[in-house]
Parts: sequence; C-alpha cells; structure tokens
Amino acid sequence: MITVNNKEKLDWHEGMTVQDVVDRMGYVLSIITVSVNGQLVPKEDYATYEIPDNAEVNVFHLAHGG
Amino acid sequence: MATKTKAGPTKYEISINGKAATVVEDTYLLKAVMDAGFNVPTLCNHKDLTPEGTCRLCLCEVEINGKKKLVTACNYPIRGEIKVNTNTEKIKKHRKNLAEMYLGRWPNVEAIQNIAKLCGATDKEKYKSDITDENPKACILCGHCVRACSSFVLQNILGFAGRGITRHLTMPFGETDPHCIECTSCGYVCPTGAIQVTDDMNNPADPELIRRHGMRINAMMAMLDDEQNRMRQVGTANLVEVMDSYDLLPVHNYKFGRHKDTPKIDSGVMKSRYFTQGAADGCWVGCSMACAKAVDGFELKTGPYKGQKVVVDGPEYETAAGGSNMGGFDLDFIVEFNFYCDTYGVDTISFATTMAFVMECFEAGIISEEQTGGKKLNFGAMNEALECLHEMALGEGFGVDVGQGIRRLKEKWANELGADPGFLNDIGMEVKGLEFSEYVTKESPAQQAGYALAIKGPQHDEALLIFFDAINNQIPTYEDKAEALYYFPLFRTWFGLLGLCKLIWNDVVPPDNSKYPPNEATKIPERVEDFQKFYEGMLGEPLDEKKMLRQSERVFNLQRLISYYLGYGTRADDMPPLRAIGPATEEEYLSREERYDKQMKEEIGIDPEGKTTGEKLAITRDFRYKRYNELIDAVYKKRGWDNNGVPTVEHLKEIGIDIPEVLTLLDKPNI
Repeated sequence: MITVNNKEKLDWHEGMTVQDVVDRMGYVLSIITVSVNGQLVPKEDYATYEIPDNAEVNVFHLAHGG
Repeated sequence: MATKTKAGPTKYEISINGKAATVVEDTYLLKAVMDAGFNVPTLCNHKDLTPEGTCRLCLCEVEINGKKKLVTACNYPIRGEIKVNTNTEKIKKHRKNLAEMYLGRWPNVEAIQNIAKLCGATDKEKYKSDITDENPKACILCGHCVRACSSFVLQNILGFAGRGITRHLTMPFGETDPHCIECTSCGYVCPTGAIQVTDDMNNPADPELIRRHGMRINAMMAMLDDEQNRMRQVGTANLVEVMDSYDLLPVHNYKFGRHKDTPKIDSGVMKSRYFTQGAADGCWVGCSMACAKAVDGFELKTGPYKGQKVVVDGPEYETAAGGSNMGGFDLDFIVEFNFYCDTYGVDTISFATTMAFVMECFEAGIISEEQTGGKKLNFGAMNEALECLHEMALGEGFGVDVGQGIRRLKEKWANELGADPGFLNDIGMEVKGLEFSEYVTKESPAQQAGYALAIKGPQHDEALLIFFDAINNQIPTYEDKAEALYYFPLFRTWFGLLGLCKLIWNDVVPPDNSKYPPNEATKIPERVEDFQKFYEGMLGEPLDEKKMLRQSERVFNLQRLISYYLGYGTRADDMPPLRAIGPATEEEYLSREERYDKQMKEEIGIDPEGKTTGEKLAITRDFRYKRYNELIDAVYKKRGWDNNGVPTVEHLKEIGIDIPEVLTLLDKPNI
C-alpha cells in the first residue's frame, strides 16, 4: 500500500512506477512535481522510477489559470 | 542502450570524448557536452534563447553506426546512441581559423577576444580587411537580439539584411519601426554592448533592476511555456482538459465534473480548427505570454449577424467551460455564444451559469415551455440557449427573465410558480447575486470559501485554491486553508493595485520551484520576488511580503466594508448554495456514490450501509455546511473580522484605516 498526497491509499505492486501512479490518479502532466519519500523524481524518470512499498508519494499540480 | 517505456521519454547512453553519459532524447548536444564537463566555445548560444547554430564555433564530431560527421552542437538534438568527439585536430583547426576571422573583423570586442584565446587564435592581422571594425562594442551578428525579439515578446522588429560581408542588423527598410515597444530585450541579450538602452520611460528609480527581473520572466516564458501550460498556443483554454481529468469541469449546472464529450471542446480542437490569431487583443503588444486568442472568419449561424463572417476574441477557459455547463459540447456553439455575449456586452460566465440553472429548472419541471416561450431548454439545447441570448439583448420574451440572473429568477419562480425555494437555493449557483465562475468546488472547502467569501461574488480572482486543496491536499487543516484564504486574496488584490497581470505569476513555473516546501511552493517565491523588485525598481523602496500584504489589506478591508455598507458583507452573504459544497440531488449523489459513501465513513464517521440515498444526502449536507462554517470562522479570525464577517474597529486601527470616513461605513449597513 502506498499513500498519495497524505490522503489516497493505493495498492502497491512489484515494479510500480511513478508513471503508474500518475496514470491511476489521472494527473495531468503540465505542471506537476512528484516526490517519493521526500526524493524529487525528474519527469524523464517517471516511467522507470520504481516506488517501494509503503511509500509516501507527493504529486503537486501547481495552480494555473486566472 | 535506449530505454523507452509507455509514457516516459527515451533515454540514450552516449559517449563524449570516451566518457559515458545518459541523456534524454532531444537534449541538445551542447548541453550534454557541457553537462559532461567539457567546454566547447560558442558565440551565438544563449541560455535563454533557442539555438540556431550560426557562429559555427561549437562544431563537434558525431559518430553514428561508424559514420562520422560534423554538427553544430548547440542545435543538434540527440536522437540515438552516438559517439561524440568535441576536440579532434580537424575541429581545433576549424575553430582556430574561424576565431581568427572573427578577430580580424572585430579585434577589440571582448567577447571575440575571449573566444580567440580559447581557440588559440592570436593573429589579429591575418584577416584584417576593409570591413574590420575597431569599435570595442561592435555588433558581431550573433543574432541574440533578433531571437529575443521574436521569442521573448513575439515581435519581429529586428532582423538581418544583406549577405556575406554586407550582412547587418536592421529594422525593416532601415527605418525605426514604430511597432517597437521598447521592451529592451535586445539590449539585455546583446553580448557586446552594441545595443545600448538609453530610454528610462517614467523615470524609474532603478531601470536595471526592473529589466533584470522582467527578462527573467520573458526568458522563462520563452523556454518553458510550450512544455507547461501552452498559454502562448491556446491561452487559458488548456484548462478544459485539465479540469475534466480531475472531475472539476462544470457539467450540467455543476452536477458533474467531467463528460465523455469534453474532447470535442478541448484546447486541441480549438488550436487545430478555430484559433487563427495568437494575440488578438494582446492586453498590451509585447506581452511575453500573449495568451489572448482569436478566431477569424467565423460564420455566424444565428442572430442579427447571421451569415456574416466575424472575428471572435476567445474562447477562453471560462467560456468553454460555460459551454460544458450548459451541456453544449460543440465549439461552433461556444464560439457563437462567445461572440454574441461580447457583442451584446453580456458576461459569458454569468450567461452560461444562468442558462445552466434555467436548463436544470426546465428538466426538473419547475418551468415549462409555457414560461420559455415554447423553447425546450434541456441541457444541450444550444440553439435555444442562443435564442435566449438574442431575446435578452432585444429585451423580448423569455430572454428578459434570463437576463435577470439567478438570484431574481429564484425569487420569481418561488413566488409566481410556487417552486420550492429550498431546491432553487440548493442548485442556483450564485452568491451575493453574482453567478459562479466555472469550477466545480464540491471537493475543495478552501475553494468553496475562496468563491463565496470573495467580495464581489463567487469568482476565482481572489483565491484560486482548487489545485492546492482538491488535488494536492497541500492545505489539509483549517489553519492551512485559513492561511491560504488570508494570503492569496491579499496577494491577488495586490496585482490589481499595481495594474499587474497575475497570469504571468502562476502560469509559468520555474523548474526548481519544487525545492520549496509545498505551502511556500504554491506562492511561486521566485515570481513573487520578481514583482517585489518591479515595485522597488520603479519606486526605489524595497518591498517584502509583510509590506506587500499590508498594502492590499487596507484596500481589501475597505472593499469589504463598502460591501457591508451596501448590504452584501455579512456571514449570511458568504453562504454558498449546497451544490457548491456537495451533492444537491440524489442523481448527483449516486453519480459519485462510492466517493461520497467513503467520505461519510471516513470523514463523518457514519456508516452509510443500509441508508437511503435521501438520508445520505441529508447527512452529507449537514456535515458539509458545518465544515464550511467552521472554516469561515477560522478565516474571519485570521482576517481580523468578527464572527459575522465584519472587520473589527481594532483591526481597522491595526492596519491604519480607522479614519472617520471609513468607520462611518460600519454604522450604516444595509442601505
């Protein structure tokens, strides 16, 4: 089980990547930043960065628009 | 080995002078080489400008499948496993020769001298000729200024003319172009001082400080906007698909947050089939964001200009989302209602939100064709919605009613038709008599208060907190939300005070913004600093956050007092309709039943098992109004207002506006 933004709980599976979480949560890749257990993950690593079980994942979508 | 997965970018293992490096596809070779610790000389490359490969000094040798070739590293995108050599004998000879040519032509320019030194070129006489320019600040034809004009402010005032030795920098026809807006971008990027900025306009205290921070914004916009919000390409319309994906796009009078037909009205369709102008009104020509868009040659299908081809300014996000709110998933309709609202002087948001309310009332049987003049006003009745708009402008038929807005319609239909005022209040999306703008706030208490506490009515100009709250959970506690509802309205009011645009504040974000803790990151500290420096550069007075907020706080409190004086400034005026804070109908509850049931169990502490939808709806309603009231208690306290939402004399004294004229506003409410 992993926790996203200190709120949503997602089932963990072997080989789960940041991209899996982004897809599952429906995040839009315009202005988001992702960190796993406090470690910032560069955008180019989303598809390969594997999330450990019990991880705290933070995905921040910055505000935009008027 | 190249690695590629379903959504991530491809990476390549490359070799630079025998050293292994991993690079993301399309990284420019010069960057990869520099990142790997090797130095390559260049004159025309600039960190904030798209490379062009004009000076030819950065030539490197690239080997692909055993074949070698020379490429300009600055604009060579890496798209394979390559071996790179940055310093072969052939390259060294080429660079030295080139540097000698530059030295022969511009012997006293410091940038040229530095390059010559780097390339081992010392002979100033070798290429000395009639075109040798001894000026130490000569133009070296690097093209920085031409590119800055085009990419920073989207103008093309500067360009090159002539070929070979007659090539030179000029404005069109060798004359001073009146379209130049004197942004000074060209002077900022000029490496030699050939372009000197002499104008100081309104006598700012420190023009260099303003320029430095303005250029930082320009550069950010030029380099990052395409991969972030695409404001230059599609303006705020980029939010249509973003809000739909987060279940926050208003659909059918805010009942739902997404729809299967949203792709028909998203920014992709607008860009490919509608937008023909990049900067229609352009707020001011030379804005580096230039988010205003327009549609040329649009043939109108209805109304007094039917059959004519017109230019339409927009649509922006709010207008497109007004379309989805009315169930009008058709851009022809959205562009047409956009045009006629502009032409008639009607706000697209108020019209769309009122129409969405009318449509729900029609579907709920509160009104019928008898009231609407025979129009079937179901959701998605686009032609009929346009008819209402035309009638509204003409002062005829049912359009006269629609033009009254939601607050008066609620009263009218309750009095004249015996409609249930409770239901009308629950689904009528207005506060203080103004219609909601186009975000679904049900899952964001901070945005609910951001809307309903807004002094001029429920619009997001004061506090657009929906991302921080509903999506990121960055402000989880009442204190966090209250702090955000204190800071952001004041910060955003400050933009109004100074006449600055807030879109350039939060629509392009520095890549390293994530280094700040979440609560600080939301403020985009680097951009706030830019604005503070603008102030300091203009007035010569440093500005920090405390002072900045205090400037706003005086105006903000005065606005609230005026609102109070006019009868719109108490707790009762800050109450949102039920639909703004949660599901208002069984249909709505059932559409997200799993989410609401889960919240009932986890947040309210009541097991939904065995309860009817009506019972669950009532429990959710009570809980959410209670939560909302607790939140605004915390906000009032933070703002220095009493529990009726009125600024206290003590607070007015603290912020220095306890003058008799202001205090009088407290004595004469509801006039």
